Amino acid sequence: MSSPYAPLIVALFLAALIPVAFVILGSRLGPRRPSAEKTTPYESGILPSRLPGDRMPVKFYLVAVLFLLFDVEAVFLFPWAVARHRLGDAGQIGMAIFFAILVLGLAYEWRKGAMEWD
Amino acid sequence: MGLISRPERPELRTGVQKTRRLPAGASDEAAAVRDAGFVTRFDALLNWARKNSIWPLPYGTACCAIEFMGAVDSVFDLSRFGAEVVRFSPRQSDLLLVAGTITYKQAPILRRIYDQMPEPKWVFAMGVCASSGGFYDNYCTLQGIDKVIPVDFYIGGCPPRPEAVLKALLELQKRIESAPAAR
Amino acid sequence: MAVRSAVNPGSTDYARFEERFRGAVARDEGMVGVGAVWRVRREAILDVLRFLRDESGLRFRMLTDLTAVDCAPVRDGDRFDVVYILHSLERGDRVAVKCAIPEEDCRCDSAHALFANANWLEREAWDMYGIEFRGHPNLKRMLNHKDFVGHPLRKDYDIYRGQWLSESDDLLDELERRRELDPRPVPADRETMVLNLGPSHPAAHGVLRNLVELDGETILHAIPEIGYLHRGFEKSAEVHDWNQIVPYTDRLNYCSAILNNIAYARAVEALCGITATDRTMFIRVILGELSRIMDHLVCNGANLVDLGALTNFWYLFNLREKIYDVIESVTGARLTNSYTRIGSLWADVPPEFSDSVRNVLREIPKAVGDSEKLVVRNRIFIDRTVGVGKISTEEALSFGFTGPCLRATGYEFDLRKAYPYDHYDAFDFEVPTGHQGDTYDRVMVRFEEIRQSVRIVEQALKMMPEGPIKADHPALTIPDKKQTYGNIEGLVNHFKIIMHGVQVPKGEAYVASEAANGELGFYIVSDGGQTPYKCRCRAACFHIYSAFPRLVEGGMIADAVATLGSLNIIAGELER
Repeated sequence: MSSPYAPLIVALFLAALIPVAFVILGSRLGPRRPSAEKTTPYESGILPSRLPGDRMPVKFYLVAVLFLLFDVEAVFLFPWAVARHRLGDAGQIGMAIFFAILVLGLAYEWRKGAMEWD
Repeated sequence: MGLISRPERPELRTGVQKTRRLPAGASDEAAAVRDAGFVTRFDALLNWARKNSIWPLPYGTACCAIEFMGAVDSVFDLSRFGAEVVRFSPRQSDLLLVAGTITYKQAPILRRIYDQMPEPKWVFAMGVCASSGGFYDNYCTLQGIDKVIPVDFYIGGCPPRPEAVLKALLELQKRIESAPAAR
Repeated sequence: MAVRSAVNPGSTDYARFEERFRGAVARDEGMVGVGAVWRVRREAILDVLRFLRDESGLRFRMLTDLTAVDCAPVRDGDRFDVVYILHSLERGDRVAVKCAIPEEDCRCDSAHALFANANWLEREAWDMYGIEFRGHPNLKRMLNHKDFVGHPLRKDYDIYRGQWLSESDDLLDELERRRELDPRPVPADRETMVLNLGPSHPAAHGVLRNLVELDGETILHAIPEIGYLHRGFEKSAEVHDWNQIVPYTDRLNYCSAILNNIAYARAVEALCGITATDRTMFIRVILGELSRIMDHLVCNGANLVDLGALTNFWYLFNLREKIYDVIESVTGARLTNSYTRIGSLWADVPPEFSDSVRNVLREIPKAVGDSEKLVVRNRIFIDRTVGVGKISTEEALSFGFTGPCLRATGYEFDLRKAYPYDHYDAFDFEVPTGHQGDTYDRVMVRFEEIRQSVRIVEQALKMMPEGPIKADHPALTIPDKKQTYGNIEGLVNHFKIIMHGVQVPKGEAYVASEAANGELGFYIVSDGGQTPYKCRCRAACFHIYSAFPRLVEGGMIADAVATLGSLNIIAGELER
């Protein structure tokens, strides 16, 4: 078990196992008493007068996509930060280029006003 | 002002479809098991887990809600008993804690929230207004929530002290652990 | 105790008004607490109200209350009297205008264009009495449910007759009407979402319902619906003795019950023409200010929880527990105290009262300081509350705002300073005001008011005299046990009060006190009997909440949550 990926594999295994176990246990152990009322959508005790339409304002999508982009960037930054010394100059330069592209993107969307909600 | 256990199931009177709510652990076999006084190890485990993680839905309408907040604050500390996690969605909670007066206008809302809760679920009527209408015997106040939903414990008081709420929770825990787990 | 009315009733401004409307207006018999009462003909009511509001010498800019009285049992003429109570803050004066409405033609003109809060007040009058207000944009049930038949405050409605409701109102008709009135219609390609921020919602503070139309996160239209905690305070008061109503008043603004008790007791004492003793007044001030502190602690604690700051909730609630201990040692109850009686208090304070209050006063600045330090320069808090839910003073006065919400707009008006009662003029304290009436100002005004209340309590403790707590009025206050057992008069007085209740003379009064949310007034009509003929509560947060759509439309849902928390809408007082 000296492979550096062993802890990762164990973590992935647990991450897959635990939710599945909860769902299975929950469905087996919980009482099953469905009723029409129970499946009505919750809207603070009132039946919803209108179901939400198919279209949503695109602002939500924009926020989600921006978050995703920068989150993935952070995911790449972490391992690089841990292993910086071993990567040497090539690592520095490569990461600097990667980072610069994303900073350019950030500057662009900031100027364009994509960070403002309205 | 003590605790009174649940009475006969009342007539349910709003226009909403009646839910047949069975007491915790009720099916014929479970009833037989309970009558035999026999709770299996697995049941005990489930009951232990359930009783120590009762998530209340504080259906707070009036003054009793403030005393419920008092029960949750650090002096009386409801979270010692596992009931700290208050969830305002019926899908995520176990205990419908009706704290305050329910009016006829509010009754359909209460009924629907109760119906939307998944089993196993319990109901506390906190305060005299929820138990029987309190001193609001008039044209707009529902004279007790047991007119629309079944109640497990009635907590007397106007408002009840936070210790009364804690006591009701402990009694509920005792009731949960003494019956076969609802499955 | 006479409630001060600054202006001589025979003043020239009033004379000018009567001259202008000669034939339509006639002076009526007095109402305690109000400068003048006029009877106005129905056709002239809007002109009269406009004149009173706009005329330079009068400037009655605030409609304090609008209610009706059912006079069927006592007179043969027109059945209802619509009563308007107006307030001129600059002059320090109140007047009342009454308009007789016959039962066969039960209509009156709507004043919603003159005063913004008349909209909701008229809806309530329609709901309770059945008086139709011509020209009202949305005359629907306000406190009772949509399937309710009848008008409960009419004298012929049986108090015990409850009516079931099977399905809540979906409010879509109101939304349609609101959309039509909107000057900026939604573009056709935008799909909006209609959502219930309903009565069972963590941030809706109990039982407030709002139907909101959303464009993304922005609220385009908000339709509030109240009445989910309407418990029939007025109708219950009509069948209970004067002292039996005190527990009902506790449960109006239940976070500061003693302030409600005091407001009610003062109103009835004014009607009886008696003054409470000095010691009673000082005890009322001390406990009232402690209640005010508790109310502001709940308001700010809950508001900050809604914003996500849970720590403040624990700090402030722990402090509340300490104050509860003091109040419990005096009144016997933590939350709903029922402490005042007509002309006196339930009982005198225990001997260790001063020390226990002083101990609590030492704790308050520390806990409030800790809590405030966490938020006052907190970037997130400032971003979420500054500029959110703004309202100008003009609009606030038109809506009938009083209390911390009005003071947050920058207008310094406090009943304790404007119409001092209970020796408030002997205390040295300031009235904090805000700048632009936004959520930040409301939160900070409340924190500062806590400190000012501490100052008042410290001074009151030093000044409190010894002496009796019962006003010397045999027909109103139960004599001491020594008198009851000692002499025949005491025995007879005790018997009469216990068996027949307190006898309040015929008349009417409108007396207001500064409660935690603002002006809590009681309009009491007595026919000399054991129970009130009418006991109307002018609830401070009713008027404040009527401005809620104005405050949140155009903002986002999260802003609506922050705003709602800062207004301190207590459903018990809102819906009585």
